[in-house]
Amino acid sequence: MNDEQIEKALARLMLGGVLLAAAIIVGGYAWFLVSHWGAVPGAHVFSGEPSYLVDPVEMVRQALDVGAVGERRSVVMIGVLLLLLNPVARVALAACGFIAQKDRLYTAISLLVLGVLLFSFFW
Amino acid sequence: MTEPLFTLAVATGSILAGVLGALVGLGGGIIVTPMLVLGFGIDIRYAMGAALVAVIATSSGAGAAYLRDGMSNMRIGLFLSIATTTGAVCGAWLATVLDPSALSVIFGAALLVTVGLSLRKHDGADAGAPGSDPLAIRLRLPGAMPMPAGPRAYAVVGVLPGFLAMAVAGVLSGLLGIGSGAFKVVAMDQIMRIPFKVTTATSNFMIGVTAAASVGVYLKQGFFDPVLVAPVALGVLGGAFLGARLLAVVPTKSLRAVFLIVVSLIAVQMMLRGAGVRI
Repeated sequence: MNDEQIEKALARLMLGGVLLAAAIIVGGYAWFLVSHWGAVPGAHVFSGEPSYLVDPVEMVRQALDVGAVGERRSVVMIGVLLLLLNPVARVALAACGFIAQKDRLYTAISLLVLGVLLFSFFW
Repeated sequence: MTEPLFTLAVATGSILAGVLGALVGLGGGIIVTPMLVLGFGIDIRYAMGAALVAVIATSSGAGAAYLRDGMSNMRIGLFLSIATTTGAVCGAWLATVLDPSALSVIFGAALLVTVGLSLRKHDGADAGAPGSDPLAIRLRLPGAMPMPAGPRAYAVVGVLPGFLAMAVAGVLSGLLGIGSGAFKVVAMDQIMRIPFKVTTATSNFMIGVTAAASVGVYLKQGFFDPVLVAPVALGVLGGAFLGARLLAVVPTKSLRAVFLIVVSLIAVQMMLRGAGVRI
């Protein structure tokens, strides 16, 4: 893969990822609104968020549990996570491109950036 | 305010923030947070979380177009991302320990500086540096930009100061939930003397990567409220696309002054709010 091909592949990945994430967010949020018609939003006071909106595993469990009390917000958060992973995937794909080019210096640099991103997520 | 009125109001405000950001050349993230805090009385941490998602969405959406025209320099972007992501992790951690009113004051100050930076005249000559630094050459940072007459090579200087400035931009991004694009552009354009078009395209790529470094910290601290994130992120994303289209038809030069005054007033109000003064 040359630089131009890497960049074209990245462009496709980014646009596709954004559209998919946006669709999941719209779907999950519409579902939430329907079940919370007339509710009062509580973002005025900071109280953190429950585990089903913080832990990705819990998020998926809640989102798949269609009969649950109405935690549609987990679906929204899955879309958000997908959106947030987009830049991480971009860096990973760039690393693959540099590996294919046998460019040692930039393989190391992209893996280092990837390492910081993964550290920030899993520490 | 009850649902769905709240969502409708927040989404409308976010679209306006996205349009305004695109017209003035600031990011949507730095405008939408004061709007949520001052206009809707939302806790600044939730506002920052929602804005951060909007920043990543906008960067990813616009990045696809930037990458296709071959303007962005992947090597420069990745190399400097080491500094911005490390800075962002530190900044995000700071955001979790600082008092929210301190965050308001810092946010207002950063917004004022951003307005100041965007007032800076750009000569557009893109003369560039005559030759690259040895370090830039060792890192293979210099590249070529596509021009109508064929690719034109450009030099890169000031690698270390540029790298340090990027670390500061990263801290601001994590601390305030913004893309800190204006700071990144200054580092690349003024310090490293990279051509402006390459700078803006590469900075857009880096904004998304930098913002992603704060996600883990924000998520664990519960900064992401889905009820707020959904209308804000989608609203700013839609507004940014709309704003980019409007750029071609709206006389931005005359409107810019008005917008910048408005944004400056908002910045001052953010600082006053943080200091405990309500207007």
